[in-house]
Amino acid sequence: MSVHAAPVGPITATGTQQRNVDGQAIAITVFSTIKWWGRPFLPVLFLLTRRFPALTRILRELSFIHFARWSVVRRIPYNGPPQRKGRLRYPHMYFESNFNGGWEEYIDAFSHILTRGMTAFWGSSYGFPKPLPTAPFKKYIQDNETEADHYYSTYPEATSTIVQRALALDAKLAPLKRDAERMDPDAFAAAYRTFLTDVQDCL
Amino acid sequence: MASSAVRMDLGDIQGDILRAYGNDYDCTSYAFVRIECPPQQARAWFSGLIDHVTTAEPWPDQAKPLTTLNVAVTAAGLRALGVSEQGVGSFSDVFRSGMASRSELLGDVGPSDPATWEEGLGSGDAHVLLTINAQQTSDHQRALGKMKDAMDAAGGLRIVYQEDAELLPGSREHFGYADGFAQPAIEGTSDDKARGGGVPLKKGAWRALAPGEFILGYPDEDTRVDPKRRLPNAPVDPLGRSGTYMVWRKLYQDVALWRRVMRDAAKHYEGGDEHKLSAKVVGRWTNGAPLVKYPDTAPERYGSKAAGANDFRYGSDRDGMCCPVGAHIRRSNPRDALGFEGHLSFRHRMIRRGMPYGKALPEGVLSDDGVDRGLVFVSFQASISRQFEGVQVQWCNAGNIFGLGHDKDFLLGDPRGRGKMTIQGSPPFFLSPQEVFVRTRGGEYLFVPGITALAALADGTAG
Amino acid sequence: MGSCNVSGQAYAFMAMTPVKPGEEDALTDYLRGLRARGPSPLAKLPRTHLGRFVIVKDFHNDPSWKQRKEEHLDLPYLIFTSNFDGDLDSYLDELCETLAPEAEEIWGRCVGCPETAKGAALKAYLKHNQIDTGIFFAAYGQATVGTVKRSLSQRERMIDFARTSQGLEPDALQQAFLREFGGKR
Repeated sequence: MSVHAAPVGPITATGTQQRNVDGQAIAITVFSTIKWWGRPFLPVLFLLTRRFPALTRILRELSFIHFARWSVVRRIPYNGPPQRKGRLRYPHMYFESNFNGGWEEYIDAFSHILTRGMTAFWGSSYGFPKPLPTAPFKKYIQDNETEADHYYSTYPEATSTIVQRALALDAKLAPLKRDAERMDPDAFAAAYRTFLTDVQDCL
Repeated sequence: MASSAVRMDLGDIQGDILRAYGNDYDCTSYAFVRIECPPQQARAWFSGLIDHVTTAEPWPDQAKPLTTLNVAVTAAGLRALGVSEQGVGSFSDVFRSGMASRSELLGDVGPSDPATWEEGLGSGDAHVLLTINAQQTSDHQRALGKMKDAMDAAGGLRIVYQEDAELLPGSREHFGYADGFAQPAIEGTSDDKARGGGVPLKKGAWRALAPGEFILGYPDEDTRVDPKRRLPNAPVDPLGRSGTYMVWRKLYQDVALWRRVMRDAAKHYEGGDEHKLSAKVVGRWTNGAPLVKYPDTAPERYGSKAAGANDFRYGSDRDGMCCPVGAHIRRSNPRDALGFEGHLSFRHRMIRRGMPYGKALPEGVLSDDGVDRGLVFVSFQASISRQFEGVQVQWCNAGNIFGLGHDKDFLLGDPRGRGKMTIQGSPPFFLSPQEVFVRTRGGEYLFVPGITALAALADGTAG
Repeated sequence: MGSCNVSGQAYAFMAMTPVKPGEEDALTDYLRGLRARGPSPLAKLPRTHLGRFVIVKDFHNDPSWKQRKEEHLDLPYLIFTSNFDGDLDSYLDELCETLAPEAEEIWGRCVGCPETAKGAALKAYLKHNQIDTGIFFAAYGQATVGTVKRSLSQRERMIDFARTSQGLEPDALQQAFLREFGGKR
């Protein structure tokens, strides 16, 4: 019998296996094999993306990702037999994301809205169809996806957007908490009204 | 830009999908038939039935038929008609699973749990749905009589559930709101409705949607961007072409509860304006005028069919000060509200053809009279999971995509009775308690075959 | 090299370890059975935001891809990733101490894992098998788990307060606010 807390939020994790889900959080894990030109290209892409955060602006605006990462596996660390020693023939790209909402909606968003970004990150992977039309792209992700065997979130019912809004609320509540005692009731009521108007999209 | 105009084979598509039959047809009956005889016998009956099916061919005004007939089938129905497992397997997973099995996902829990549904719905007993529309009661009764006679003559057929629906005055639904007139604009059929009904583009422009979003065998929005022009997945020929998937749901509306909760909640709202608070929940005034265009008071008259009546968007009201972010119509059809040039919403449109059922609760009555009333929700879409379920699950039963936390569509209710709705404003108003205003009393996922497909089903040559 | 793993104060760790031949099924069953047995072992590491264990059987090779030569993994590999707060060394110290019994069942089934899967030896093993991140996106990388949880709980209380305090006179409103939010952090 699981002592995992009973879910508070609605079921929105659609289109993905149950093991990829913890409350509102959904895991996606994808390995892809990289063509020769991805070897020099991807590190440059990563560097540019790190240097120019504006490139991840859309990702931030979409707001449904907690954490995501792309890594290039060039060589797998050696641990002795029976592991095979030697280099990998190709580099491989590991992608994982922790996101909210439906799987299909997530991939749709990537297809239509992050079209250029998707091409930049996966264009050098074997078998990658263009991000549009969506059907072959979805199939590609499905074929290259591996289901998590165990997935964990320490705040499973909170979506990334809720977390961000809660943090924003905290920043705005701080001054009110600090000054509340000192104000006379009418001044407080006015300040509270202004505060509430300001944070209504956080609640 | 618009792709070359797609010609729809209207004679092969059933009626009331691309174009509504219209409000002349006041009475509708939905009869779910169970086939209890061998497939061959059932097909003989089916063969006689489909001769009378109404197609999408336009009628000259004077020649509007007194009644119309349309036919849909469930997965169980396909099998009962003798379609092979391979043939049935070519239909979508979700359709084959059936609506009852999707209950947790759809929020059909607690008082809406399939265990509480009307007998005959959600149990696998519904095979064929006959929808009869009539202009007058007398014709309606006659058509129903003919249908029953044909069934009796054939033998081995039983109506497991029937719902009779009737338009309310003013095309209202039971909470009092004018409903059903904002529909998707479909390329080649209703391009004239693109302003407001289509995909919102830059600079206030709109374009109609690809027909394949609603009718199988035609290019959909994905086809438009595919160099190979592939068509969407469809059931195996000849079953798929010109067909569509249908969602049928009986939604009970607790009108007295709605009125009481809104009356009580309004006490703390803007000088007790219950009318306005209710409009804020829905996103329209009772006469159908959209809040985003008329934020403070309802216009005296609102012609929903007038040119440009549906031409509104939410871009100028990002904060929801005019129409709340979580208002019912804004959730179920966000238009441009999700940003990104409509790309998060344009593939989640549905054609809706529902009808209210049950006698209206007289104005001003706040206690329940025990009468069964509500809405028969009917939608048509190429993909049940992307279009119907996507909207139900991500937009109505959840709030995250709108930045509303776990808030659900207030109008539909929360089975745990714990929800709230933020009515944006200066200051905002928090509406609660979110009681169970709407309860699912039953439903089915169905397929509406094209005319050729119906004939193939009747002949036993369909997969 | 280290900075690619960091965004704000959040760290993205990944270890990729080969699964001992014959142990894949047992490891799979163990990991998949964790949910049913109680809270995740990762719950014992309070600095963890989100983490996962994924067993990758092999690379995907598709003949239609025009990949000149196929590439196959020699063994199934266990991938462990965690998105956590702060410094890697202290996090691994915590992990190798607190998750000792689970580590035995998990990394104990991997090639090269120290005889006793705990402490400094396990830490060295995990670091040896670390794969660096190319690009790490964190929506709120500056916030620790503690900050996030406190903010979430405060948001719930503020929603309740905002709802129930509607219509209160200024005096009562102020009193209620001070009671609920204390007037201090």
